[in-house]
Order: sequence, then C-alpha cells, then structure tokens
Amino acid sequence: MTRPGFSRSLSFPWHLPLALALAFPFLVLFVRGLPHFPSTGRDLDVILFSLVLAGLGTLLTLFLALNLAVLGRAGRVAGGWEALLLLGYLVPPFVTGMGLLFSLGTLGVRIQGVPGILLAWTLHYAPLAYLLLKPQVGLALGLLTTARVHGATGLRALRAFLPPLFPPLLVVGGTLYLALLGNFGVPAVLGLPERVYVLPTLAYARLLSPVAQDPLGEAAALGLWLALLALPAVLLTQNPLLEAKEPLLPPSRPLYRLLFALYSVAALALVLLGLLREALQNPYTGRWDPAFAQALGLPLVQKGLRNSLLLALVATGLLLLLGLALRPFPRLSKGIRGVLDIHYLLPGTLLGVGLILLLAPTPLYGTPWLLLLAYLLHFAALALRALEGGPGVEGAVLAGRVHGLSPGRAWWRLGYPLLLPYLYAGALLIFPLAFAEITLSALLYAPGAETVGVAVLSALNGGLYREASALGLILMGVAALALLGRPR
Amino acid sequence: MIRLEDLTKRFPQGGGVEGVDLEILEGEVFVLLGASGSGKTTLLNLVAGLLAPDRGRILLAGREVTHLPPERRELGYVFQDQGLWPHLTALDHLLLVMPRPDRREALALLERVGLLDHSHKRPHQLSGGQRQRVALARALARRPRLLLLDEPYSALDPVLREELRLEVRTLLKERGTTALHVTHDPEEAMLLADRVGVMSQGRLLQVGAPKEVYLRPNSLESFLAFGRANVFHIEGEVLAFRQEWVRPGGSLEALVLERRELRGEVLCRVQLEWGEAWVRLEAGVGERVRIQIHPLLRFPQGLPDPAMAAGV
Repeated sequence: MTRPGFSRSLSFPWHLPLALALAFPFLVLFVRGLPHFPSTGRDLDVILFSLVLAGLGTLLTLFLALNLAVLGRAGRVAGGWEALLLLGYLVPPFVTGMGLLFSLGTLGVRIQGVPGILLAWTLHYAPLAYLLLKPQVGLALGLLTTARVHGATGLRALRAFLPPLFPPLLVVGGTLYLALLGNFGVPAVLGLPERVYVLPTLAYARLLSPVAQDPLGEAAALGLWLALLALPAVLLTQNPLLEAKEPLLPPSRPLYRLLFALYSVAALALVLLGLLREALQNPYTGRWDPAFAQALGLPLVQKGLRNSLLLALVATGLLLLLGLALRPFPRLSKGIRGVLDIHYLLPGTLLGVGLILLLAPTPLYGTPWLLLLAYLLHFAALALRALEGGPGVEGAVLAGRVHGLSPGRAWWRLGYPLLLPYLYAGALLIFPLAFAEITLSALLYAPGAETVGVAVLSALNGGLYREASALGLILMGVAALALLGRPR
Repeated sequence: MIRLEDLTKRFPQGGGVEGVDLEILEGEVFVLLGASGSGKTTLLNLVAGLLAPDRGRILLAGREVTHLPPERRELGYVFQDQGLWPHLTALDHLLLVMPRPDRREALALLERVGLLDHSHKRPHQLSGGQRQRVALARALARRPRLLLLDEPYSALDPVLREELRLEVRTLLKERGTTALHVTHDPEEAMLLADRVGVMSQGRLLQVGAPKEVYLRPNSLESFLAFGRANVFHIEGEVLAFRQEWVRPGGSLEALVLERRELRGEVLCRVQLEWGEAWVRLEAGVGERVRIQIHPLLRFPQGLPDPAMAAGV
C-alpha cells in the first residue's frame, strides 16, 4: 500500500529563492567569464582535447564496467570481492594516478601523459560505473534468460539483452563523462609533468599564471567552456535509472566469479604495489625504509592532515544535520537538492572559480571558511541524497501521526531512528571524499590552511615521491576503514 | 459517531471519491465494499487526514475534523501493509501511541490479541498474522473514536484470514469500537459488517444491512459487488441472479454442460434460454433439469460493460 503524503505546511516555494542563492557562484562565473568567451586558439585546442579525452575515457570505462557487471551479476559476486573493487573508487583519483605511475615506472613503463590519464581514469571510475550498471545488467540478463527459456539463441537472444541496456548505458556514460571532464587530480599528477593540459588544470594554471592579464576572467571563461561541455551530460543524467527487481538469472558461473576476483585484485595491486614500494623501500639503498615518519614530519603534511580532518568532519556533520533537518519537508529538500546536484555534478573547478569571483572582495576570502563553504556546497547533494533513502520512513511517520503522535515526535521516535543506516552511509560516503578532496582545495586553500590533497600535490611537485606515496597509502587506509564500516 | 457530507476528492490522473454522504453510528462496524480503484482507500485516507478533500466535511463525534492533521483526529488505522515500525517491539508499538503509556494495559491488550509471549519481539521476528495482530493492538491502544481498517487481511493466507477476521469482529464488539473497514471481499463484508456500503467509481451506491444489499441491490454495480453473478443483456434490460439463487423445479429448462465441486457445494455450467450460466445445482453432466430462479433481478440496460460482469 502507498500512503499519500500529508503536506499542508511549507506551501510557499522556499526552494526557489534558496536555489537561486545557491546557484549564485555560477551566475557570477557566467558574468565574469563572458567577456573572455570564446577563448584563444590554444585554449580551444585544450577544450577540444578535454572533450575527446573525456569521451574516450568514458567509452573505455563503460566497456570495462559493463564486462565487470556481467561477470559480477552472472557470477553472483557479492561482499568481499565487490568491496575490494570499490576500494579502488573510494581512494582519491590522484592516488590511483600516483600508484600507477610508480607501479608501471618500476617496470620501466612511462605512463605520464594521455595513456596514463586514460588508464588511471578507467581503473578509478570503473567501480562507480559497475555499481550503477550492475542492477541494470541483472535485469537484462534476466531478459536474456527468459528469451533462452523460450528457445531464442544467438543474435535473437541478444536482442532481448542489449536494447534494455542502452538507456542505462547513456545515463551512466553521462555520469562518467562529467566525472572525467571535471577531474583535476589525475591530469595534475600525470598530465602536468608532460605539459598535457585539460580544462580543469588549464584553469588552475591560468589562475596562478604571472603573465595572464586577467587571470580570474580567463579562468572564468575556461569554466564557462567546462560548463558548456558538461551541460548535455548533466541533462542526460537527470533520467533516473530503472529500479531493477530481482530478475530470473541463469545458474551461477564460478569462472565469472574468478575473473571478477582476479580483476579486483589486479586493479588494486597495480595501484597499491607502486605506492608500497615507493613508500617502504629506499630507492638508493634498496632497503626497507618506511617513509611514513618523514611524510608525517613535514609541516605542510601535518597542517594538511589536521585541516582536512577538521574540514571533513565539520562538513560531514553540518551536511548530515542539514539533511536531517530538511528530511521532513520533501518538496523543499528536493528543490534545494536540484541545484546542489548541479554543484556536485559539474566540475569542482567551476564552483572553485565561481566562489573566488564571488567572495574575493569579502573578508571570507583567504580563510579556511571559504574552503568549508565550498565543501558544503559541493558535497551537500550527497548528504541530501543519502537521507532521501528509506522508503518506509515516510509511511512510518504517517502511521505514527495517524495514531496521535505530533509531527516532531513522530520524526524523533520513528522517522529518524529508521534513517540511522542512511545517516551512517552518508557519513562514510562524504567523509573520505571530503578528507582527500583536491580540486577545490587546490583553488581555494588559504595560506596556513592547506589540505592533505594540496600537501600530496606539493610533495609530488617538490620531488618528494616517497612521502607522497606514504600519504597516498594513508588516504587508502582511510578509504578502506570507511568501506569496512559500511552498513550491510 | 462519524458523518461524511458531500466528501469529494479528485486526482489529476483520475479516480478519487465523488460526493460521498455517510453516517456511521457509535459502536457500529461499517464495511465499504468495492473493487480495486473504486475509491475505498481514498475515502479512508480522507477520514484519516492523509488526504485533504476538495469539497465536503468530515464530522467526528459532532466535531468537524475536515482540516485537522491526522494526529488530532483520535483515530486508529490498521494498514493493508501493517505499517509497523521495524525498530520497535510489539509492546513499544502500543506504549508509543497510548496517550498515557501504561505497561499493564498494553500487556493486557497484547494478551487479548494472543501476543503476550511475543511482546518483546520486533516485526521481523513475527509471522504475518502476528504482525497484523500487533497492528490491530496498536490501533486499539489509544482507544480511538474510530478505527479504520484498510483490507487488513489481504496479505494473509486464506486460513489465517478466516480465523483473524472473526477474532477481530469479536474484539471490536467487545470493546464497542466504531470501525470503518474497507474490503473487496464480499464474504468478508457479509461476515463482519453491521452495515455495508457499496462503492464504485468513487461513488457510494448503496448503504444497508449486508443481507439487504445482497438480496436487493439498487443497481447492477451494487449487485456485481457481491460476486457470484450471472448477467444477461436481453431486449433493453439486464437480467441478473446469483449462483446460489437457483432451485430445482420450476419452468426454466437448463442443460448441464459441466460440473465442478467446490468446498462441499456443486457448481454447474448450464445452458439457459438466455445463454450460459454458473449455478449451484445438484445435477450430472448432460442432464436436462427444470429450475427456478429467485429472485431474478432486472436492471435497465446500460452500464456496466457485459465483459466486466462476466469477470466478476
């Protein structure tokens, strides 16, 4: 039974002015970037290159994830092996890039530049695409089984399998394209040393450039390009994925499970071994010499860890409180989330440049508060989405109210307790992402308030590869802890 | 006890209820009978305050509650899916909704519904029938002015359903609880109701004692709501009778085409002069028997579609 909602309160569309206020950084970016739009010929090359690279990366990642989803679903993979695969996604993308750099470097393979970026993106984002595609692939496999039961084989059976997958592939492809287009960390680690630029790194370089005539305006124009390239995919990702019910699946195939497990181990090992070797072995003596103490002894790292921990904790806490406060008002919450989704989906560079333009004249600029505000805006959609879960919560509260509980008491005794697993999941999702965030941090950190992401990037730029690897391992550890603590 | 005046709710996608007038008396068990989509649950949700009406009034014990939020209507509600709170024990369900939580009273109520030994269990530790009993005890725990029951037995197996619905009727009468119960099961309506109302397409078609509505429906839709229907469209009018209204002897000739036995009764598919019908009759296949039908109802030709009637 579905119980209708009872919402006579909050009939004023509060979400409209709030949404407008939240979208203000983008509006400022638009106004400031327009005079510099379109950009120079060299910028246009980078724009086209970013588009092609993100498109190619999306196709590669989709291909890998689709295969993993078939292996995972048909092999009935669950639990530990999936967690292992997911660990690759919870680790910050630039750590994946660093791990690959050192692993393959040991084998004498240089992966800086385009091949490295594509490889790092594919390995890093395949688990995300796998998670999104897995239920849809399960549904399609169910259709395939049904077709086979009714005697269809070969191409005729594939006609039952492939067409239902096209819409989800488009939606997931859109999500991937957005993530790759806006990714800063991987191109910063693997592209900048080879002078390979994509839009986020070019905007960053332009902001820091001593020769640019109007660094903010030029960075804003690049941000506009980024928004322009991202917009079609944002619209594409608004189509919800189908809720797949438990389909009729063919018998489990142990070989598929084995292949899935082998990939999960290999992908993780490829990242992990490079970092371990770099962090634990002295390259000159070849002896066991862990670099954790040196890394943690660096003043920038100490500051970075402290600031990241504080920022991530405060941002996670505030966002979950906001999510809880908004949860009883679904219209208001969804309205606000509609705008915040854009903040999360669009590349962080856009938000970063927008906030600089908006708040540079205020005392907030150059303080850690600016970074906190950026984190709040960037990750808020995740918190609201996490707490939108719990299909039975609304019904439980209504049942309480019908039996005489006031709205506040019904939420306190019934709604919020049922939301606890979602609260927990939200915290475990937001905290590691905020802790290891790099795009916004690199643009907005205040002197003395660097984050751990900035510290790793500085260590890499300063040639402190062993210390950077040790920090990468620490970030992997944080991700692994979050994964171990996930609600089951 | 409760009066509905011209209660109307329309949904953009269609459906709802239209101009319902109804009065339910103190201590009465009133059953709303109708097919899926007839507007029964919408009416219940309007009374509960889960939906706001477009028009009309709801008066509970003489007080208008039309625009009061659900928590101020002093109701109990047994939902179709039970709507239990997964993190609370059976006992906590009762204590939470009692205006003055009284552990002894709550345990006594749980004992009355046969759940004293399960008071510490959470919903997932209980069977379907036990969960429905918790839902009922919760609804009664706050001593509601009106108890709403939305097809509470539909998810239960037939044996448990029969057992539980009789128990519930006894319990309601014992406590003098006024109840508005919706169902699509005519047997349930006959068994439980002091009075029954037939709903179709959002309208309340007929209200009366179950036997009266069963024997003297005021419309073809009302007739069809009780099922076991034979309907013939003949020369501008509709002839209708129920399977059990057939007796041997009489002027009508029937050729038995098929015979089926169902829980102690024999049902035959027979050829009549108007067409084929299923009737309760003791006869063998191929036999020609003379029968009488009483009552044989006649309605004006028109709605509903014969195909719909055949499906009943």
